[in-house]
Amino acid sequence: MKKTAWFSVFLVSIVGLFLICPSSYAAGTIKVGIVDTYTGPATAYTQDVLDGFKLAVEKINAKGGVLGKKIEYTTRDEKFKPDIGLSMAKELILKEKVDVLMGTINSGTALAVSDLAKKEQIPFFVTYAKSEKIIGEKGHRYVFNMNENTEMAGRAAAVALAKKPYIKYWIAGDDYEYGHAIADAIMNNLKRLNPKVQKIGESWWKLGEPDFTPYITQMLAAKPDFIIIATGGSGMVNFQKAAKATGLSQNIPFYQHTGNELGTLMPQGKDAPEGVYGTANYLFYFPESPANKAFVDEFKTAYKRYPKASALVGYMTAQFIAEGFKKAGKVDKEAFIKALEGMTLPSPVGPLAIRACDHQLELPTYFGVTKRDPKYVFLVSGDNQIVPPKNYMPTCEEVLKLRKK
Amino acid sequence: MDFIYTFLSPGVLSQIFVGLSRTVILFIVASGLSLILGVLRIPNVFHGSLYMIGAFMAYTICSVVGGDAGFWLALIGAPIGVGLVSLATERGLFQYLYEREHIMLILFTFAISLVFGDLVKIVWGAEYKSVPVPQVFQGFVPLFGGLPFPRYNMFLLFMGPVVAIALWFLVNKTKIGKISQAAAVDREMVGAVGINVSWVFATVFVIGCFLAGLGGALVAPTVSVTLGMDHSLIIEAFLIVIMGGLGNIWGALLGALIFGLTQSLGILIWPQFGIVFPYLAVIVVLLFRPTGLLKSTW
Amino acid sequence: MVTKGRIGAYAGIIFLLALPLFFPRFYVYIASLILLYGLLATSLNFVLGFGGIYQFHHCVFYGAGAYGAALMLTKTGFSPWVGFIVGPLVAALLSLILGLICIRLSKLYFGMLQISLGSLVWAVIYRWYSLTGGDDGIHGISVPDMIASANGAYYFALIVTGLSFFIIFKILKSPFGSVLQGIRDNPIRSEMIGVNVKRHQLAALVISGFFAGVAGVLFVVVDTTVFPDMLFWTLSMEVMIMCLLGGWFTFMGPILGAALIVLLRTFISTYTVYWALFLGIVLMIIIFFLPNGVLGYFQEKFRPKKLVKG
Repeated sequence: MKKTAWFSVFLVSIVGLFLICPSSYAAGTIKVGIVDTYTGPATAYTQDVLDGFKLAVEKINAKGGVLGKKIEYTTRDEKFKPDIGLSMAKELILKEKVDVLMGTINSGTALAVSDLAKKEQIPFFVTYAKSEKIIGEKGHRYVFNMNENTEMAGRAAAVALAKKPYIKYWIAGDDYEYGHAIADAIMNNLKRLNPKVQKIGESWWKLGEPDFTPYITQMLAAKPDFIIIATGGSGMVNFQKAAKATGLSQNIPFYQHTGNELGTLMPQGKDAPEGVYGTANYLFYFPESPANKAFVDEFKTAYKRYPKASALVGYMTAQFIAEGFKKAGKVDKEAFIKALEGMTLPSPVGPLAIRACDHQLELPTYFGVTKRDPKYVFLVSGDNQIVPPKNYMPTCEEVLKLRKK
Repeated sequence: MDFIYTFLSPGVLSQIFVGLSRTVILFIVASGLSLILGVLRIPNVFHGSLYMIGAFMAYTICSVVGGDAGFWLALIGAPIGVGLVSLATERGLFQYLYEREHIMLILFTFAISLVFGDLVKIVWGAEYKSVPVPQVFQGFVPLFGGLPFPRYNMFLLFMGPVVAIALWFLVNKTKIGKISQAAAVDREMVGAVGINVSWVFATVFVIGCFLAGLGGALVAPTVSVTLGMDHSLIIEAFLIVIMGGLGNIWGALLGALIFGLTQSLGILIWPQFGIVFPYLAVIVVLLFRPTGLLKSTW
Repeated sequence: MVTKGRIGAYAGIIFLLALPLFFPRFYVYIASLILLYGLLATSLNFVLGFGGIYQFHHCVFYGAGAYGAALMLTKTGFSPWVGFIVGPLVAALLSLILGLICIRLSKLYFGMLQISLGSLVWAVIYRWYSLTGGDDGIHGISVPDMIASANGAYYFALIVTGLSFFIIFKILKSPFGSVLQGIRDNPIRSEMIGVNVKRHQLAALVISGFFAGVAGVLFVVVDTTVFPDMLFWTLSMEVMIMCLLGGWFTFMGPILGAALIVLLRTFISTYTVYWALFLGIVLMIIIFFLPNGVLGYFQEKFRPKKLVKG
């Protein structure tokens, strides 16, 4: 039984050590806990969320903070694993006693943390997970979605595509939740807006598929008018490279959500295919408003790179948190939520509002097509067409109906 | 007859060819893994990390040098860089661990892969990287009823046999190859005849890792170079090696062929579960030939 | 010596029972996690350390148990307690099926075939949206009120793991356990003296799978969610690390290893995002200097004569 004795000694000493470790927060601050993936391919997006957030928080704190309190934040790397993310969120709530949670690009983690936030009654801002369930089926009072979801992206794309003459569509994408959700959203809405549209076939590949050529040959053989590509993450770049290598981009036009966005185009430099249709919720060079230019300059000075769409999300989330507490007048979660509902703030892309009914941020969508631009060492989105939120957002009734199910 | 025509339709043929070019990458990486397994008996989990590092190094060389010269330089420089990293790892760590149990070595190499994963992030950052396809191989050639086939994939198809022949030459015709073959069977005997086994092992290890780096450099122009590209590859490489027979380089080739082809044809048969076919192939092979298709070295 | 050990054991049990009274909720939650990962690691060590079987992809059974219970709880109208029993049974059944296929092979080949089959199970769960929710997993599973609170879940986990540890311990001390360890040390000799090696190993695999399933059910109770990641091979590696860290050939080693990993993860990730780097380095040091794990090292140091090597 000596082992047991040793074991107890160990356990006690480790737990003791763990208890001594001080909480990393000072008193009298507003505490924001961020759980996100900072490992693996997703980091390309999450780092911008964090940097955009930091930028805004530093500005707010320099002006004396909110209600005389500074905003403090701490990050946890969930490594794209929902179980770790959930346990970290618990740690932030129970041990660090954060006032607000935000984060995650992983829909699985976002849904799990959202469920926890509901139980613990902590406001949770979803920054880059795109599942429609977050504010739809699984939506509740304590969750806010600060970026577009698959349904929104699909509808925005459908609104723009319905005006084009294409009839025969082919669907292809990453065979996982995000891919199917976005493809379904586009197709359903496209059929609603233009009944002549038909789907002539589809192909799905495994997430992280390294070689798209076989699928592309299949599509070329079928000769559709237009292809909808529902990929995410590194699949965006991989597909565009394959589309260029096989000549798909010159033969058949195709669309990818965020296909015209910096995160997809910058890594490819001048080699990205031209003529790819895409939708993005932020472009640092469009619209050319003073507000947008100011934000880009600020971000570039701080981090020596251009902001992606995710940077805007982080930047605005910080401001909504600050303004929410300011309007509530006290650090009280219920008052904070009440204050945020329907709140509109100026942003680099014009005024943005959080919808009261479902806590979704109303974002404009930019539909454009990739082209070269002598000003940059990468391709940009051209012929940009703004799809304002009112033209494509699901209505409150539609969202609330999902919640009742 | 109709069936055969359908089967040999341009779509299927081109699918097979694409499967083959994927096979080349798998073969190059798996043969390195197999070499190390066969001679050193190390199940090298961080082989995948070396593949990733090879791709990142290729990116760095390409962006510093630029143009086609950059690509060719990367094709040589990145594997050499990976070789140097592995040499340091072998001399610094592995040479003390050869006698340990496999399971220890697996965990040890897994630990190194964790460390390398984070080091890559520290060195190269989180952004996606992209290596341009060299000018010579840009575009595509029409093949099989006009369906396009990328030039770069042609180049990959050419590289596969080149590497296979080079490896065959190395193992069967050079001194180091013969010694390592002997060491794989009986390392005490090799030591007894006065050969420094430790350095033989180091050389074989570096050659194996060189191949991982080469695989990474070759794959770089076709994909986005990202963190985490090691994770899916390493399991596939292990399965190929097991399927072919541990330590057998031709086995690695055969395994890679089966893996690549079942994957690309599986997609045609049942798209949603295309991912499942290579695994099924492994299971079937191991059920009938428990130690792999070809003779394993241990 | 015996009395001293007894006192230590009683002190440990009292400490565990009283833990929720003195510690805040978060630590109770962490303690529950340690218990369930401890059970998972112990169930692996049962076949790995004591059985000498290279079970590389153990988490498949953990995930199967969790999904089995979660699906029973969300998709059927049965009492949740039925679900808690069905989970481990599903895991044991899966373990039997995979075991029957793999058992003909030995060592590394066994392990690799097992990873292959496990990846297949993972792929199916990952793809089967209509049943398993795909990569999003299943969230907000409601468990009986009695065990829904942090303390309730902790006591439930404590009782279940305590009972499981007791059963595993008894099995190891039984004739079956001795035969199993005999097979590990010398399979050929065991065969010679008339032991049916494969059948014993298969039985051990099923038992191990069952308790991994129990750990899966505990995860459902503690965290009320399931994800396909629970069946991914990297988690299996982590569980193996737990066994190694604590010590292969000791009964309590894996539990200690699980405690170390869970605490390190929670503790280090508050300071740095590079915890994989840190874990990797710690692990390398341990393998270099303490090949028998932390507990194994102390055993070796204090009881050199009784050391049993594998």
